[in-house]
Amino acid sequence: MILLWLIAIPLIGGILAWTAERWSTTAPRWIALAATAVPLVLALTLWDGDPGDFWLAEFETSWIPAAGIDFYLAADGLGLLMVLLTFFLGVLSVGISWNTVPSRPGFFYFNLLLILAGTTGVFTALDLFLFFFCWELMVLPMYFIIGIWGHENRNYAAIKFFIFTQASGLLLLIAILGLHYAHAAETGVQTFRYGELLGTELAPGLGMGLMLGFFVAFAVKLPAFPFHTWLADAHTEAPTAGSLILAGLLLKTGGYGLVRFVVPLFPEESAAFAPVAMALGAIGILYGAKLAFAQTDLKRLIAYTSVSHMGFVLVGVFAWNAWAVQGVVVQMIAHGLSTGALFILAGGIQDRLHTRDLNAMGGFWPQAPCMAALALFFAMASLGLPGLGNFVGEFLILLGSFQVNVVATVLAALGLVGATVYSLWIIQRVFHGEPRESKGLTDLSLREITILGVLAAGLLGLGLYPKPVLHMSEPTVRALHETAPPPGAALATGQPENPVAHAVPPNERVPTDP
Amino acid sequence: MTPSDLQALLPHIVVAATAVAVMLVISFYRNQTVSAVLTVAGLFAAAACLPFVWSAEADAVPPLFRVDPFGCFHIGLLLTASVAVTVFSHSYLEKYRMERGEFYILLLLSVLGALVLTVADHFISFFLGLELLSVSLYVMVAYIFTKKRAVEAGVKYLFLAAATSAFLLFGMALIYAELGTMAFPEIAAELGGGDGLRSPYLLAGTVLVVAGAGFKLSVVPFHMWTPDIYQGAPAPVTAFLATVSKACVVVVLLRFLAAFDSDAVPGLYLALTVVACASMLTGNLLALLQDNIKRILAYSSIAHFGYLLVAFVAGGPAGAMAATFYLVTYFAATLVAFGVVAYLSPSDREADTVADYRGLFWSRPGPAALLSLALFSLVGLPLTGGFMGKFFLVGAGAEARLWTLLLVLAVSSAISIYYYLRVVVAMYSSIEDTPQTRELSEPFAATPPYGNTVGAVQALLALGLLVLGLYPQPVLAMIQSVTRTF
Amino acid sequence: MSAAPYWPFLVYTAMVFILVAGMVIVSSLLGTRHRQRVTGEAYESGMPPTGSARLRLSIKFFLIAILFVIFDLELVFIFAWAISIHELGWPGFWGMLVFVFILAAALVYEWRMGSLDWTERAIERRLGERREAMAKRWKEAEEA
Repeated sequence: MILLWLIAIPLIGGILAWTAERWSTTAPRWIALAATAVPLVLALTLWDGDPGDFWLAEFETSWIPAAGIDFYLAADGLGLLMVLLTFFLGVLSVGISWNTVPSRPGFFYFNLLLILAGTTGVFTALDLFLFFFCWELMVLPMYFIIGIWGHENRNYAAIKFFIFTQASGLLLLIAILGLHYAHAAETGVQTFRYGELLGTELAPGLGMGLMLGFFVAFAVKLPAFPFHTWLADAHTEAPTAGSLILAGLLLKTGGYGLVRFVVPLFPEESAAFAPVAMALGAIGILYGAKLAFAQTDLKRLIAYTSVSHMGFVLVGVFAWNAWAVQGVVVQMIAHGLSTGALFILAGGIQDRLHTRDLNAMGGFWPQAPCMAALALFFAMASLGLPGLGNFVGEFLILLGSFQVNVVATVLAALGLVGATVYSLWIIQRVFHGEPRESKGLTDLSLREITILGVLAAGLLGLGLYPKPVLHMSEPTVRALHETAPPPGAALATGQPENPVAHAVPPNERVPTDP
Repeated sequence: MTPSDLQALLPHIVVAATAVAVMLVISFYRNQTVSAVLTVAGLFAAAACLPFVWSAEADAVPPLFRVDPFGCFHIGLLLTASVAVTVFSHSYLEKYRMERGEFYILLLLSVLGALVLTVADHFISFFLGLELLSVSLYVMVAYIFTKKRAVEAGVKYLFLAAATSAFLLFGMALIYAELGTMAFPEIAAELGGGDGLRSPYLLAGTVLVVAGAGFKLSVVPFHMWTPDIYQGAPAPVTAFLATVSKACVVVVLLRFLAAFDSDAVPGLYLALTVVACASMLTGNLLALLQDNIKRILAYSSIAHFGYLLVAFVAGGPAGAMAATFYLVTYFAATLVAFGVVAYLSPSDREADTVADYRGLFWSRPGPAALLSLALFSLVGLPLTGGFMGKFFLVGAGAEARLWTLLLVLAVSSAISIYYYLRVVVAMYSSIEDTPQTRELSEPFAATPPYGNTVGAVQALLALGLLVLGLYPQPVLAMIQSVTRTF
Repeated sequence: MSAAPYWPFLVYTAMVFILVAGMVIVSSLLGTRHRQRVTGEAYESGMPPTGSARLRLSIKFFLIAILFVIFDLELVFIFAWAISIHELGWPGFWGMLVFVFILAAALVYEWRMGSLDWTERAIERRLGERREAMAKRWKEAEEA
């Protein structure tokens, strides 16, 4: 029942915020804050549960029995982590847009909350139809946020975003239905249940086609090379809260989909496809880093770092052993926090200077010391400084993938060098060097410092003591590996579950050792 | 003619009687509101007869008609849409200083034609219904004869539809010459032997009949008339053309094609596949080039009937179910969209260029929200009925493993997003972006505030769209029960 | 089905074409041609024509003609019914009664619309009435 409320509260709050706009310009944001904070607290109450006990929370009711569709929500450790991230960033995005929405704040918060509801649905739906429904539900409000409150080139960016996600969404739809009917033909049961569709026998060609349908949809959202071209435009033109949600949540739905659906539903096809996917991931890491370095637009630069970081996720998912998948989970959370923070900083600079052009920036440190210090912190996180969350994620991914594909791992590791270059490049261009014209540049407000401080604390906590997170996601990873054995397990004689059992101790050791 | 036959045909009789009644009323008391109210009352009365018809035994009134639950469902759908069109027409025609009552006679007659088509089980009733529908439509399209475009559209429609009727008749004649029967069940029995379209006459006849139906559905390559006529016709008539006059042909075609086994006549299904692909791509690509909302919707309807053909090719109960459900959602969305256009149009022109809609969301949030909802449903976004419609369509295709068609569907609907969004972008662009503030305010200044009957009808339709998108189970179960026989 | 039974039809079609083409060609080859002052006139060698051949008929004639054609065509159905009246029995009778009633309604409509008015005065009077009624309604509508 809690899960239903997690979706319903943002929806109801969104409608309330929209209607409240008529009476007051401040009411919508208070409603939005409540509609994100309450679910956050509700979701935290689930933290007490034992993640090994499936599921932490469930909700089920009949929806469209005529087509075998149920309204089935369930959260395990992985789902809960993602839901917590959703509402954590949700609260922050309401905070960051507190008094910067120029027009129609009620409609803005309506869209924002609708995205959060859709994202929560994506992370908890275990009926594939419901999953797809929520998956599509996220797109339209994001379109509005970019298209109405975005920057100068917003229409182009919004439409590009929309077309990319819709086209890939249709492929996903075809693949889901293909799987559904393959399952129905095999067992005679019409269902979209994830649990029942697992292990469906598929003809080789069909299985590959369906897997690619899922993969492309998630790779576009992730975004993986070569489907990343929408990302830079969307991020650049979106308002700050939009960029935060986009980078922090929407990209994660892609990674989540890969972990939850692509590999478990199509284990053999994924194994066959793994070298290609890992190569795409490695290319994304290097190419994203290179593109980031070449940008003169601050938000565009940060956007391309996302391509680079999410390349790690792709490599990790298709390495598919316990280290790599745990790393993927950590990497997704850490990237959500660190890149979100960088977008907040970039948005703050743009609000003050009305430009994102790096050539017009420089030497801002003395004028905005707090901003500079926090920017340095998040740049360090982004380049993978040990002790911060990103390091744990990337390290675990590399550790896992090294056992599967050495070449891809080496290439991916080179990406860390690139990350260092572009992260320091941001600091160098914006805060060091010749002081530029900076009229109107004030330091961060208390509100912004609080938000960034919370994000920094989160990253630090994740970097120094990731055990709660790993503990939360570990049973999920183990369960997923039971349906789709990791690559080494098939060869290892008789002990398919051992890698998981061993997975926890090294995880504990590694990151606490700065 | 037995009493049970009459009972089965009650909706038709009621609609026909209403047409005569409206004519008599106009003769003595000319008032457009009275005519419209009478029309709506007649349509409701016809719908109220449906429960009696439904209970009538299947296969009623052979050989011309077959009043089965499937037909009844569509009668209900068509009547509902006709009520909406009547309401839109009333407010639209109020803007013109001309004789307006006769419009409702024509409307009722074409509804009658459409209703005949939904239960047609024989070439004779097929043709009768089609002609009754078309002949009234010629006049309705050109009803605002003070507008050049409307007259042009009417004449075009007359010529093209008449030519199509000739093709259709020729096709029927060929089939009759070969099989010696014009009743669908007997044709099905004749073709059930397994040797399919065994002679060139039969093949030619079938192709001609399908082409005649394809003209009404405006699928490629019979689509040329659509944009001009959609643009020229008064907006409520366009709504009628886009919904009622197409749906009834879909029903006939479903019945007719149900006679053909896809394995027995691979050529026919290949042709349908090609037509479907061509319609989806052509419709969506050409819509990209348009600046006129009615033309955009015209091309989009070409594409949508291309999507619908996927269900035809898939066939079987799943195909019929998907086609029917898609029709329902398409009806609601299209009626809302054209309803908004009709409502916003001033008396000197149609409010149909994209520029007219700039900033509409900020100046008139009601109509803008409705139009957005309709467009999103046409795109197939969740929360709207269009999403479910597309879902079941793709489901039917996936079940029949029509991967090529589905890929074309995916690609072309991705293309379609662009032109739908252009309208949406215009509506949500802020007013300071718009240089033509004159155009913005002028068409809308003349229209009465929302909240009248039109608003209520549109709100109901929009509510229906949302219900179809969120909880389609009741409608779906009903459709499943009526399409079980396919 | 083979094409065999159709060959006489094809021959017939071909003969039609040959005959018509032959008549045109032969007469154009054999015919005499001359071009003189009165060649093009209606009665070459007769009385010179006066006035225009285009007579202006009142639109009323056409209207009546169209109405006649419509009702005349309906008569076809009544003939068909009359021939098979025994087979159709009472249901046929009621059906025909409905049909005739609809025709009568249409006639009433025409009468009230003024399609049957013949004299200028009657037409003017009815048009005037309708214009007045219209103006009144629109005035009411504008006030409301």
